[in-house]
Amino acid sequence: MIEAQMKPTAVETLLADYPLPQDGRWDVLLRPDGSLRPGWDYILGQLAELGVSELQPRYEEAQRLLRENGVTFNAYEDSRGANRAWSVDPIPLPIEGSDWAEVEAGVAQRTRLFDRLLADLYGPRTVLRRGVLPPELVHAHPGFLHPAWNSLPEGHAWLVCHGVDIARDEYGHWVALGDRAQAPSGEGYALENRITLARALPTVYREAPLQRLASFLETERATLARLAARHLDSPNVVLLTPGPGSQGYFEHAYLANYLSISLVQGEDLVVRDGRVWLKTLGGLQAVDVILRRVTDAWCDPLELRGDSVLGVPGLLSAVREGGVTLANALGCGAMENPGLLPFLPALARELLGEELRLPSVASWWCGREQDCDQVLGSLDRLLVHYLPDRTRIDGARLDEPGRQRLRERIRNAPHLFVAQERIRPATAPVWADGRIVAEPVTLRAFSVLAEDGYRVMPGALAWATPEGAPSGQGGITKDVWVLADAPQPHVSLLRQAHGPIIVTRDGADLPSRVADNLFWLGRYGERYDILSRLLREALQRLVERGEEAGDDSCLKELLTALMLDVGEVEAGPRGRYLALRRTLLSMFDDQRENGLREMFAGMLRNGRAVRDHLGDDSFRVLNRLRDNLQQLPSPPSISGARKALDEHLTLIAAFFGLCNETMPHHYGWRFLDIGRFVERTLNTLNLLEVVFVRAKHPGLPLWEVLLSTTDNMTAYRRRYRSALHPNAILDLLLFDEDNPRSVGYLLRRLARQIQRLPQPSGTPYRSAEERLILQAQSTLQLVDIEALAASIREGEEEGGSGGHLLAELLASLMAPLSELSDALTHSHFSHSETPRQLIDML
Amino acid sequence: MNYRVTHRTTYRYSGRVSLCHNEARLLPRETPSQFVGETKLVIEPKPAIYHERRDFFGNRVVYFSIQDLHQVLKVTATSHITGAPRVLPPDAASPAWDEVARVVRRLPELGALEARQFMLESPFIRPSHELLDYARPSFAPDRPLLEAVLDLNRRIFKDFTYDPGFSTLATPLSQVLEERRGVCQDFAHLAIGCLRSLGLAARYVSGYLETLPPPGKERLVGADASHAWLAVFIPGLGWVDLDPTNDCLPGERHVTLAWGRDYSDVAPLKGVMIGGGTHALDVSVDVMPLRPAA
Repeated sequence: MIEAQMKPTAVETLLADYPLPQDGRWDVLLRPDGSLRPGWDYILGQLAELGVSELQPRYEEAQRLLRENGVTFNAYEDSRGANRAWSVDPIPLPIEGSDWAEVEAGVAQRTRLFDRLLADLYGPRTVLRRGVLPPELVHAHPGFLHPAWNSLPEGHAWLVCHGVDIARDEYGHWVALGDRAQAPSGEGYALENRITLARALPTVYREAPLQRLASFLETERATLARLAARHLDSPNVVLLTPGPGSQGYFEHAYLANYLSISLVQGEDLVVRDGRVWLKTLGGLQAVDVILRRVTDAWCDPLELRGDSVLGVPGLLSAVREGGVTLANALGCGAMENPGLLPFLPALARELLGEELRLPSVASWWCGREQDCDQVLGSLDRLLVHYLPDRTRIDGARLDEPGRQRLRERIRNAPHLFVAQERIRPATAPVWADGRIVAEPVTLRAFSVLAEDGYRVMPGALAWATPEGAPSGQGGITKDVWVLADAPQPHVSLLRQAHGPIIVTRDGADLPSRVADNLFWLGRYGERYDILSRLLREALQRLVERGEEAGDDSCLKELLTALMLDVGEVEAGPRGRYLALRRTLLSMFDDQRENGLREMFAGMLRNGRAVRDHLGDDSFRVLNRLRDNLQQLPSPPSISGARKALDEHLTLIAAFFGLCNETMPHHYGWRFLDIGRFVERTLNTLNLLEVVFVRAKHPGLPLWEVLLSTTDNMTAYRRRYRSALHPNAILDLLLFDEDNPRSVGYLLRRLARQIQRLPQPSGTPYRSAEERLILQAQSTLQLVDIEALAASIREGEEEGGSGGHLLAELLASLMAPLSELSDALTHSHFSHSETPRQLIDML
Repeated sequence: MNYRVTHRTTYRYSGRVSLCHNEARLLPRETPSQFVGETKLVIEPKPAIYHERRDFFGNRVVYFSIQDLHQVLKVTATSHITGAPRVLPPDAASPAWDEVARVVRRLPELGALEARQFMLESPFIRPSHELLDYARPSFAPDRPLLEAVLDLNRRIFKDFTYDPGFSTLATPLSQVLEERRGVCQDFAHLAIGCLRSLGLAARYVSGYLETLPPPGKERLVGADASHAWLAVFIPGLGWVDLDPTNDCLPGERHVTLAWGRDYSDVAPLKGVMIGGGTHALDVSVDVMPLRPAA
């Protein structure tokens, strides 16, 4: 450290714990003598001004923003939070412009080289014929796809975007560690990190002398549009994602939004007439360009992996016919082969006539005899890649027998193994537990095709991991600043349209799958709502009953409504109390069928699948609900549960409220609304049935429960004071079309929404769903209220049930509504049939 | 010899198919010993899209897509073939197999370069110790390659039972080896696996074989079948075909359709469809000898 003279400066205080470079590693902040490297003045000055004590709250604020925006990097997120936290370090990583220029030139050349290499491997294969590259190496890697051969016309780009992992070695030189082309993730995270930190550290970012990322994304957008073979003025570009279950889904949704393109899954697309089409409510819509985040092998079950449901049958054929452009081209996985690294200098000379600018980490392909010998002799220092399944074995972590076995495997099939030196990436300052420490850092740089060659993003995504390798599993990431001489103007991707723009507002281009997801989002959300209400009511009753009281008939009926069974009961009132508590709180259990977590999981799954159709604020509310559920112990205490339920009800209401406020009231919103109100109508009818038809002990307490669960107590009191009577309750909940909780109102709303859905053109008849809703509406409207009241009176006199007429009415209302869901699926979502293979190959 | 080969595939579905994408490798390629005359691929119902191309291995592939509702798919390939006799040197004149395995990677000739990809594992065939052990007795050190492979060919014919009921596409090679039974496809995969385990290049060949009626009986139309065999690469000679199912060197009666690393590269008819339910498959092949044109 800089020697303290009198009083340490603010920067010195900030770096008080920062160590000098350790065991020969390069440190990007300090030289071995403790002096600062260039590029840090601005950042350190700003951070020092904030002070160490202020950095922790800013760090936490940044993490909160990330979580609320749903930034994750994991496969199967569930409501219990198996997801790995993604975090962003509050200390940006500056790189001087002159230094970055070297990376920029190296990465751009590398992308150009790989693009030419792919064109050659999937075309004339001169590099094999001339002996520059051994065919065994190319064919040993599963990335080489025979069907992709000859699939692009000459001159077309194989690579549109490319991610290169780089690090500084012990001498501070940049070294490339590996390449990503099939689904080069990270740009979106880099962008999100930048935006998040700018919000958490506004003073640091406001005047920062750094290069902005937006123009890179603008280039990407323009390139994608330019790749279209048709519709040059308004090409249809989509981002193909494996779906919400995939690791990078957050980023896919984020990028699609940022680039203003549709986010689609394989099942949304179909190949017909040699072209690719998006299945929308309004019919098929041509797709010109696909930005692809599904890896090669899964893209076409006809010619590639037959068991894939993520792809589009016939896609490769459409590519060959020029019906669609893919970014990147299918087959580009061949360049992710780590065995290519030792051949890159020769390939650069052969294919580009240039010297390779960015060296790669020292690597050996065991298919070359002399390389193999060297690898076998130094396994303990090497990382070994097994090409067929792309696994990595760390030689340093094996014991001697383990290394012996590995040697044997290598000798048996040397061409399947590639060994790499383990580099020790340079360290950089990282905020950890209130201190600034040194951690090894790796970067992913990005390039994209532009009109005049490849452009490199002026920034990158950096990972700080003890291993120093991008784990692909989240971890601590850093914002990378490529320094500029002065603060750069802000560029927005919103731009003025060139030429006329076609104004549309009907929303018929909504993918059918999205309509399906929105419908179920509505249903699950509403079901969550009613479960929470019933459970809250039941817990309230349980608390009022106390531990020693006798039986509560009302609670029994609530258990029926919740479809709960108390099961074995210990003796005595206390035993009964414990059993009831256990049963009710089991609604919070992980595996509980129809429990709260299952309902929320359904809501989240469908919500995530339509991420690009929900407003940012609605999505934040959904994420807050997720956090809230995750933090709740299982089972919670009664008071904890009641408090949580209150909060959840508010959040659900906020979620749908925000959807109503922000979604355009077109087809998407209509499906969400229909889902909610079909569910609410069914739930209300079901409750009425429990209370008036099936209850063993009907009467006042239960009526009260009914009114409060449906949130109608206030409305009732205002009309009838505190005198409860079945006729009045039924009027409020069934017939009163001005009461937004009544069945009459719900049916009218459903009818209006359903009428406005897109109908197959040319049929003068009502659709099945229109007929069903009409059936329910007329049943309700034609009720003989006098007779119904008389029947209820009779029932009451006979022992309390609501009479047979009510039972029949409720049943005849429920039937068409239960059918409605199927009818909608058939009319609007019936795309979902999975393609099947003629023969099962493997 | 002249033939007219007719290969008819019929799929009957229990439900209606609304869209299908298919790839057919049913049109024969030319080879040094096979001249291909007129060929025709008739698809019913008529496909909306039909394109022919050459795949990576040089085979003829037809991609087609049917966009009308249908419950029956009928694909009929008809080809006129003229086969020439294949000339082979005496068995002993080929180079020693172990010498070939040693040097094939270093041979400068283009054929050898192309052959190298057929030395590697492929989706259906993984070289293994078991395959190596089975192959060994035929491959004594210094034995001429052709003599050794003919011996292997004969042993597979002798040791294995032809049993159409035993294997499916999913039956692994190890099980075929263990149970000593299978069909032509399995025997071709087996021989290829043995050769690759020894460091030799071998490829899978799909095609047809003219079957001769039993003496005194009429020829039955449509009773023939698809056939499969293999070829081994011998420097200086090129690719030499072997038929372990019939213990012979394919000659004029073998009609070559396509070749690849294994069955997965040359499946005659692949497809993905939407709808259809369950299906029944009917295949008939007819290899009809024609009198040479006068």
